[in-house]
Amino acid sequence: MSSSGSDGRRGGRRARHSGEAFWWALFSAGGVMAALFVPAFVVVTGVLLPAGDPAVAAARAEAFGQAVGWWPVKIALLGVIVLSLFHCAHRIRHTLMDFGLRRYSGLLKVPCYGGALAASLWAALVLRGNTGLV
Amino acid sequence: MSKERASASAGRVGSGEQVAGSPVATDERTITLELFRYHPETDAEPRFQSYEVPYNEDWVVLDAINWIKDHVDGTVTHRWSCRMGVCGSCGMMVNGEPVLTCAAFLKSYFPFAVRVEPLVNFPVERDLVVSMDGFMDKLEAVKPYMIRDDVNDTSGGEFRQSPAELAKYKQFSMCINCMLCYAACPVVGHEEGFLGPAALALGHRYNKDSRDHGRSERMDVMLSDEAMWGCTFVGECSVVCPKHVDPAGAIQQAKAMGAQEYFKAFVMPKGAGA
Repeated sequence: MSSSGSDGRRGGRRARHSGEAFWWALFSAGGVMAALFVPAFVVVTGVLLPAGDPAVAAARAEAFGQAVGWWPVKIALLGVIVLSLFHCAHRIRHTLMDFGLRRYSGLLKVPCYGGALAASLWAALVLRGNTGLV
Repeated sequence: MSKERASASAGRVGSGEQVAGSPVATDERTITLELFRYHPETDAEPRFQSYEVPYNEDWVVLDAINWIKDHVDGTVTHRWSCRMGVCGSCGMMVNGEPVLTCAAFLKSYFPFAVRVEPLVNFPVERDLVVSMDGFMDKLEAVKPYMIRDDVNDTSGGEFRQSPAELAKYKQFSMCINCMLCYAACPVVGHEEGFLGPAALALGHRYNKDSRDHGRSERMDVMLSDEAMWGCTFVGECSVVCPKHVDPAGAIQQAKAMGAQEYFKAFVMPKGAGA
């Protein structure tokens, strides 16, 4: 038969709270953060800061670096970065599942969320120093 | 897949030839319909069969299929009822798109051929008819009905509801179970455990109903593994819905509700999900 897909039979009830709720919450929060802040960061750090006279741009970058060195800003930045990373990780995992790796959905959590965790730690270390974003 | 061209009579059909309930052709032009054919008792595999059908710009694809069945080939099997976008019976793939054939006008396709197939992601029973068993199982799983202990107790009158409370779920209650969203959803085709757009939207509809007390029972099913979380927000379900329901939106709202319950379970292990 040419038709495909599910026969729809449900194999009874499973655990009430799938861990997917946790990963989806990170994905959802990260999506909001990425949509709201990441484009602005790209414009500010990639276009506005280096624009114009190099000497003026360098002074501007230094002032920006000092602002980023303020710990409340570091915490806010880390929040945006970490949530955005887990947003990416969740999307990549589900994309891989759609590409035929659905049976490995549990195993895929290791490289996807593990990668996001490693990148988050790296971001925390970078922010911990006084070099700001650069 | 073999493709057989059947020589079907075409041309104007006079009122004297009209079959009761069959549309009347009023145009000299014709349009080709390629119908998916499969009779499991005789066919080893599906095939397409072409029919020349009188073209009338007021006709919809369903009219053309009915004309074929009434005038050319009575063995064509399809499902339909109201012809007015209410019953949800006549959903099929028309040129690869899931549509209600009673709402798909021939003039949208003329002069090109129209290929009609059964809804994808469903087992085919015969010709254009799919099996609804899997869908019905999923629909039943989310308990799409009012749950409360006193649901049959009318002594207190109606279960009253404000317009604002009604507005929270009204659009999700417009679903006619036509299953177009299941044919449009790529996750339905990949993930057997995914409940699918219509069932999840209807489950959410009752979860949002202020008169209902069955949210916890429904969430037992909706929150499990890939039942709901398999949705990757492709959004095609909402695009193809003929009743302008937004199942994709319902699923996102239900996910947010489920995530709240998940975290609430840590804070109040015994009180969450009530």
